[in-house]
Amino acid sequence: MSLAGLALTHLLRAVIRRARWLALPAAALWVRVILATLLIALVSWLLARLLSQAVYGSDVAPITVAFYEKLTRAGQLRNQFIIQVIVYGAWLAIYLAFAMQRRRYQAELRQAQLGEALRGAELRLLKSQLNPHFLFNSLNGLRSLIADDPARARDAVTQLARVLRYSLAASEDDLVSLERELELVEDYLALESMRLAERLRIERDIEPAARAVRLPSMLLQTLVENAIKHGIAPLKPGGVLRISAKIVGYELVLQVVNPRPTDGSVAEGSGVGLKNATQRLHLLFAERARLRLDLADPSRAVAEVRVPA
Amino acid sequence: MRALVVDDEPLARRELRRLLGAIHGVDIVGEASNIDEARESIERLKPDVVFLDIQMPGGSGFDLLARLDRVPRVVFTTAYDQYAVKAFEVNALDYLLKPIEPERLAATLRKLQASPSSPGAVAAGAPLEQLFIRDGPRCWFVPLRDVSLFTAEGNYVRLLWGKERPLLGRSLAALEQKLDARRFFRASRSQIVNLDFIQGVELGEGGRLHLQLREGPEVEVSRRQARLFRGMMAVP
Repeated sequence: MSLAGLALTHLLRAVIRRARWLALPAAALWVRVILATLLIALVSWLLARLLSQAVYGSDVAPITVAFYEKLTRAGQLRNQFIIQVIVYGAWLAIYLAFAMQRRRYQAELRQAQLGEALRGAELRLLKSQLNPHFLFNSLNGLRSLIADDPARARDAVTQLARVLRYSLAASEDDLVSLERELELVEDYLALESMRLAERLRIERDIEPAARAVRLPSMLLQTLVENAIKHGIAPLKPGGVLRISAKIVGYELVLQVVNPRPTDGSVAEGSGVGLKNATQRLHLLFAERARLRLDLADPSRAVAEVRVPA
Repeated sequence: MRALVVDDEPLARRELRRLLGAIHGVDIVGEASNIDEARESIERLKPDVVFLDIQMPGGSGFDLLARLDRVPRVVFTTAYDQYAVKAFEVNALDYLLKPIEPERLAATLRKLQASPSSPGAVAAGAPLEQLFIRDGPRCWFVPLRDVSLFTAEGNYVRLLWGKERPLLGRSLAALEQKLDARRFFRASRSQIVNLDFIQGVELGEGGRLHLQLREGPEVEVSRRQARLFRGMMAVP
């Protein structure tokens, strides 16, 4: 009899899961709970009758007979049914209480994970937009220029304002023309040249047709910033930063090439900027865009982006 | 007060020069744009204070200090570097954030002028008073009188300094030459002990000695050194 009970409760559990009872509104759940209890108690009661018929030759077990001696046979059968209802009702209530508790816990966990992922994304975005090291060093250089070369200082203020405005306006899903992005990069490079002086030398090779192609904002800027931070700035003699853009087939091929220290004196960056850029490219273009950083040559870094032209 | 300015950016050097020029009693004796130049200038000019940028090509300000025998008084200048601030969790040193505020700079210099003479100004032959140690991401200025034990680890030396155990990138033999012989004793081939930390002395087998250090381990003195130790400390 207890085996039959085990089988019935397992069956009921499978039904609850399959039909997603836990996701139901309270009223619908209560109706199902009552119906299921009655149904399962009925099945169990019938099974019990069949079983005692087979074993004792009567549909009421002799133990029960002794226990309910004073009752009629019908009364005994009714009492047995009520016991079944109570047992299965209690089982169902306990099971649902546990299942709901677990469900609530999992929902809270998922919520927390989601929130964390979101905050992480926001943080990465902020970090990719504003590099405080660049900002404060530029301000420091500017303070010096105000006395030495006021005309250049005025230009630098304008350039810094444009860089800040552009990076603050940029958002994850913004697409801009290469032309527009290059304007920002030129302002940025002018400010870095103010600090690095002759250590930063720049070569540009931009095909006119490439200028109209649209790409995520701040993408080229991130590559150029990385090239200076990890490549040219740590090198005592500095080096040449090369930016090239051309159309190959149906793609824009954008390259940033820079020398880098070979002695490993510069710790590898966390790669947040590149990781973020790769994610954005994937979100916007799926498989049609690529970003690759080639470090095969120990003294050179080549960053390449391909986007649909 | 003689100052050296170390920064890779010409504009930053000019700015600091201008700021220091406005402060009475400061004499800028030199400039350096990388750590090799800086090292040479420090050894040649023996400045009282070095204004030191942290991020520079060819090596950071920390790298410079780790390579110096005698560390002058240092004021770090940095644009934005949580790392720099964190590096000095043990004994904070002054640092200035760029762009440097004239009032902050003046306050820093007042503090410097009020403190006793800089270790950099001490005569060349005098024993070392402090060490700059960079061990992984952490940096310390270690006052040597507070170090109880130096233990050789290959070509490096592990210091026992309170709860800290920083690793110094020099050999024990090279370090011994620079230490104050009245305070530090070479107990064996692999250890130098600070005499101020000895709590008890026990005789061991074959003429060896065991020194019990305050809040520290027991140190064995080799037979040859034990004779020297007895002579120094008048132990029978």
